[in-house]
Amino acid sequence: MPASSRHWREPGAWQLVVVLVLAIVTLFVLVYPAIYVFFGSFRPAGGLLSAAETFTIRNYVRIFQAGFGRFIINSVVICVAATVVSTVLSIMAAYVFSRFTFRFKRALFMGILFGQVFPWIVLINPLFVAFATMHLINSYFGMILTYTAFTIPFSVYMLVGYLVTVPKSLDEAAIIDGASRWQVIWLIICPVMLPGFVATATYAFLLCWTEYLFALAFLTQTDLKTLPLGLYQFFGDDYVDWGAVMAASVVTTLPVFLLFLPIQGWISPGRIAGAVK
Amino acid sequence: MRERLFIVTMLLPAMVLLVLFYGYPIFDNLRISFTDLSLLGMKKGGNWVGLANYRELFHRGDFGHILFNTFVWLTATSVLLRLLMGLGIAVLLNTRAMKKLRLASVARFALLIPWATPPIVAVVIWRFLLERNGVVNETLMRLNIISQPIAFLADMRAVWPSIVAIMLWNTVPLIALSLLSSLQTVPEEYYEAAELDGATNWQVFRFVTLPFLMPAILVLGLMSVFWSFNNFVYVWLATGAGPGTFTNVLATEVYLKGFVDFRLGYSSAIGMMMAIIMGAFGILYLRLVARQQLEETL
Repeated sequence: MPASSRHWREPGAWQLVVVLVLAIVTLFVLVYPAIYVFFGSFRPAGGLLSAAETFTIRNYVRIFQAGFGRFIINSVVICVAATVVSTVLSIMAAYVFSRFTFRFKRALFMGILFGQVFPWIVLINPLFVAFATMHLINSYFGMILTYTAFTIPFSVYMLVGYLVTVPKSLDEAAIIDGASRWQVIWLIICPVMLPGFVATATYAFLLCWTEYLFALAFLTQTDLKTLPLGLYQFFGDDYVDWGAVMAASVVTTLPVFLLFLPIQGWISPGRIAGAVK
Repeated sequence: MRERLFIVTMLLPAMVLLVLFYGYPIFDNLRISFTDLSLLGMKKGGNWVGLANYRELFHRGDFGHILFNTFVWLTATSVLLRLLMGLGIAVLLNTRAMKKLRLASVARFALLIPWATPPIVAVVIWRFLLERNGVVNETLMRLNIISQPIAFLADMRAVWPSIVAIMLWNTVPLIALSLLSSLQTVPEEYYEAAELDGATNWQVFRFVTLPFLMPAILVLGLMSVFWSFNNFVYVWLATGAGPGTFTNVLATEVYLKGFVDFRLGYSSAIGMMMAIIMGAFGILYLRLVARQQLEETL
């Protein structure tokens, strides 16, 4: 008997059938809805009631005529700015957490862990009042600030996880050679940690991209609204333009897929579990 | 000394933002909850009304209904089903039969689709599928399971299961993938030993797999509680808390009272209730999870 052989029983025929059926049902439920809507977006009226299998991009043309491009620009500006600021601030904080011992370190880090599970809906009233007095309602700046704060706990937590895997001796050697802390971060840590930083930033960006509650409360002016709000513009009171809704859904989701698929292997689901709101 | 200055400089910006966006609002929310502040009269501010908002909250007839919706439907049901389904899928993906059929990697990829779908879009997708003449109704009618189309998001018997189903579709993959990665860390020898002892499949699952997964299940479950309890998006976008106020939960009530009825004071009182309840869970989280995460990362 070869040494590598395991003592596994081979799965029996009926076992294979049961697993196959379960797997197909699961796969179908997971994938079909998204695929259906994707193809529906290329059919007149979203495929609802229309038997004709015609292909059209009219839905897409229509949403952009209705001003969807504006929502995309708003989302991109707000999310990119918030992601950059949040990631830089988080790298700074995470570096300190991973490299130094100082007073209140545990308490501060605990606070950051709590930030991940904080009920955001509770903050909406006081923040609205504060924003109203500071004229930050309907402002890019207000949203960027909000989303920066919104993503920091998650980003710091992720980044500390990455940074503790880089040996401290690397920093110390460089400092003995006369490098400053800033040089260490910029010249040594950043290149080594780049994949981790990119993964964290990407995820932070996706959190902003799909955020709905704060956008709903703080952006009331149509030309400042972000994508998630724009998407729901196509829901009328008693009539839903499904073709437009589907096209808008695809436009909203596509960047998420394109960004998410490459990085999903680098971020462990367990860590993200804390960040999903 | 220079080192201390460095530490402070590096931490300060992030910490200032966190204090401004988490620390200050929670105290201000408490203050607002004692006033009759209105969204329309924000310039002149609110009058101090003491505990009036809280008294009103506890005396309203439907508060029990909102709590029931929040605890039983939005939180308990969705969290339990999410864990069970996630566990089921993870175990399924990890079976030898699945590997033999070469389906494991296909299934992993399939899980990424609902996971990567933004919640807002997940709701759109299912609102479409659950339409009166949508795919779900059509399929059920063709299979002769129902004779009349169901208004899934308007019928009182169907609306909560529908909302929960949307939540599950969107969130089970994350749980399944997390548990799958834990499953793959179970040492092979454990299974071999169990098999040599003549354990049945169920016994192997019960006495080897499950104990190994327990810590992960606990963390994911607790995270799910936070995340479901405070969730606003699914209920609000699927039903707008309707039909009527039938699916109203604490989170939607905070928004409705504050931004639809303009009663920020009263809305803040509801928010405080939520914060207190979540505070209790926070202590549990601290005990069970945060401390361990702290040891791991620091």
